[in-house]
Amino acid sequence: MVQRVERTRGVLVVTGAHRPADAPALAALLREAPARGATFRIVGNGEWLGAGHPVAATSERIELGAFAGIEQFRPDDLTITVGAATSLDALDRATAEHGLWCPLLPWGSNRGTVGATLATASDGPSSLFLGRPRDLVLGLEAVDGTGAHLRAGGRVVKNVAGFDLTRLLTGSWGTLGVITRAHLRLRARPQVDRTLALRTTSGAEEAELHGWMRGPFAPIAAVALSSPASLELPVAVGTTHLVRIGGNSAFVEASSAALASITPVESHGAGIWDVMRERLPQPDRALHWRDSVLGERLRDRFDPHRLLNPGILGVR
Amino acid sequence: MLPGPLALSSPAMTSLEEALRAIVGARHCLTRPGELLVYESDGLPGYHQRPSLAVFPGTRDELLAVMRVLAAHDAPFVARGAGTGLSGGALADGIALVGLQRLRRIIAIDPEARTASVEPGVVNAILTKAVAAYGLHYAPDPSSQTACTLGGNVAENAGGPHCLKYGVTNNHVVRATVALPDGSVLELDRGDEGGYDLLGAFVGSEGCFGVVVELTVRLTPNPDQVITLLADFPSVVSAADATSAIIAAGILPAALELMDQATIRAVEASIYAAGYPVDAAAVLLVEVDGAAAGLGDDAREIERLCLASGARGVRSATDAAERARLWQGRKKAFGAMGRIAPHLVVQDAVVPRTQLAALLTDIAAIGEQHGVRVCNVFHAGDGNLHPNIPYDASDADESARVHAAMSAIMRRCIEAGGTITGEHGVGLDKLPYMEQLFDAATLDAMCRLRSVFDPERRANPGKVVPVHSCKEWYSASNARAGSSS
Repeated sequence: MVQRVERTRGVLVVTGAHRPADAPALAALLREAPARGATFRIVGNGEWLGAGHPVAATSERIELGAFAGIEQFRPDDLTITVGAATSLDALDRATAEHGLWCPLLPWGSNRGTVGATLATASDGPSSLFLGRPRDLVLGLEAVDGTGAHLRAGGRVVKNVAGFDLTRLLTGSWGTLGVITRAHLRLRARPQVDRTLALRTTSGAEEAELHGWMRGPFAPIAAVALSSPASLELPVAVGTTHLVRIGGNSAFVEASSAALASITPVESHGAGIWDVMRERLPQPDRALHWRDSVLGERLRDRFDPHRLLNPGILGVR
Repeated sequence: MLPGPLALSSPAMTSLEEALRAIVGARHCLTRPGELLVYESDGLPGYHQRPSLAVFPGTRDELLAVMRVLAAHDAPFVARGAGTGLSGGALADGIALVGLQRLRRIIAIDPEARTASVEPGVVNAILTKAVAAYGLHYAPDPSSQTACTLGGNVAENAGGPHCLKYGVTNNHVVRATVALPDGSVLELDRGDEGGYDLLGAFVGSEGCFGVVVELTVRLTPNPDQVITLLADFPSVVSAADATSAIIAAGILPAALELMDQATIRAVEASIYAAGYPVDAAAVLLVEVDGAAAGLGDDAREIERLCLASGARGVRSATDAAERARLWQGRKKAFGAMGRIAPHLVVQDAVVPRTQLAALLTDIAAIGEQHGVRVCNVFHAGDGNLHPNIPYDASDADESARVHAAMSAIMRRCIEAGGTITGEHGVGLDKLPYMEQLFDAATLDAMCRLRSVFDPERRANPGKVVPVHSCKEWYSASNARAGSSS
């Protein structure tokens, strides 16, 4: 641990980043924290530090760098197990080699970690079509605020054994437990992956596009751009839309033709989606947190001393 | 400490019974043993527990009043839909049963938003029928769908053959109003706008967190085109290999089901005969759906992969009637087992798909070793096995061998990296396996999650998590006062 010891107004204050080497070390850190009044800010690659309400300034950092890596990858099973601090980039590279992906594709940078994506339940332009984080995670390991090491869910694609701790932890912003490992559901990347830009200039065209998106030609990602210039797309009258069509070649041709019959389309490389996800602002759900009546009870059970990201949700 | 069952003729019981009758009327509050007989089991014939009483609220207000009365009496209870469950989850052991099947209103359908709001007693297939005019259906299709209720589907996080492509219940419920055991009423959602995914935690909680009062579900547009294939295999292993090949090829069928010879013969001898080849060692029922463009290409690829894995032939349903017949045979296969023997045990383990061939070989060996007949009819595409063993429970020796075989099969599935239940739930039936699958810390965490909704453990007590796995926890105030664990 990198420590700094300061004397502030006569009081010794120890601050610094902890880098637990494994789950038992993380658990020990959390268990001994209440006795010394410590609280913690959980950090993956640091991409989400600006989100949410301010975490208590005296919180010590727990950096999860040791929890990175592809741990078990079964391409033919369409499942993968990764350490929580594995970057989305690394996940993408490992799966692409086998023509697969875990289509999390959240708003934000690909330098962000899988753990942060799950903890914040970040969605992205493909979530409506390929699944939200809660739909793509099969199981999680986590250490909760009492120092208990939890192994929730499993590695198989259908599982109703026990109460669903995986869904509980996903989107909990670290306030119930620190995610250390994730089992993810994979899909085949589309055989043909085509991105088209188009512009609608009338209510009628909007309606036709809406119909196309809801019908059998539904895309795998879609977004209406309020600032096309940010992606170096031409600014003009109307709304610019980007859609991503995936499937076998007969499907993609027919789908593209149906779209082109609504309004002219222009091809783009798939790389524009990564650029978009990084440049466009991402929703900050912790800042707009709506705590259930049961929220405080949950935190009382899983983090009674409020060690984990205290204040990030703006609630007790 | 679990509250004990209320004795049949104690004053406390009579007061509860009176209070419930005041809400629903005497006709809808049953207490005589003869009347309660039908509620002693669910879909598994092997478990029998008699409730102390059974109350059937007819409206939302009656349900909420019933919940308040149960809370006021500190009475434990079990909620029940159609009783088609396959894990003994809806059994009440000397405690109150709350039957929800009278709450069968479809409250609203929004074809534009593609959602429907329903009461928990609405039958799964009836919802699909009600929205068919809008070109929509409700996607999760458990085999019991012509009888099972949406409330029950939520409790078990039900799947069905088409969940391979379309997802399970948890992917289709958007909102729920639930009554907690303390009588309070809560709206749950997925936290999409910022909040814990309490709805996701509730779906699949097997009635241990509270009772659904109303739910809003997503509806799915009917596919443009459907192609249904039946592939005929000379061995179960070649059918399993074909399954793995189809998934590995990157095709996501709408459904991919496997039936072995024992199952095929049971179905073909019954009124549900579907035209399956009785001399096949196994068949795969594979369905692809979506836009017509490109669908034929996927179907042809599946056919090629089946033949490459050793299929003797692949045929395609030529019309909607044939498609319906092929599916009816599959969905009624469980019922058709009744021809073989009076009782049935069925499992629901899920294994990685690449392990299917090995597991099926092992299951056959275990069956032989114990001298029992295992029939396999299951969701091969998900790796969700359903080994069924028809037997005569009055034969003590056969019963012992059947249960030994089932334990061995379950152990093997867990060893292969699987889970003990993919869609039927833990209930009573799989309680003994929970400690093989989850460690003590995780089971305790499940107890803690449950305690958030039901701190007194009055909702479906004794199910899902072994009671001795729940450590006492410190209340929040004790913890903050500084007592360390």
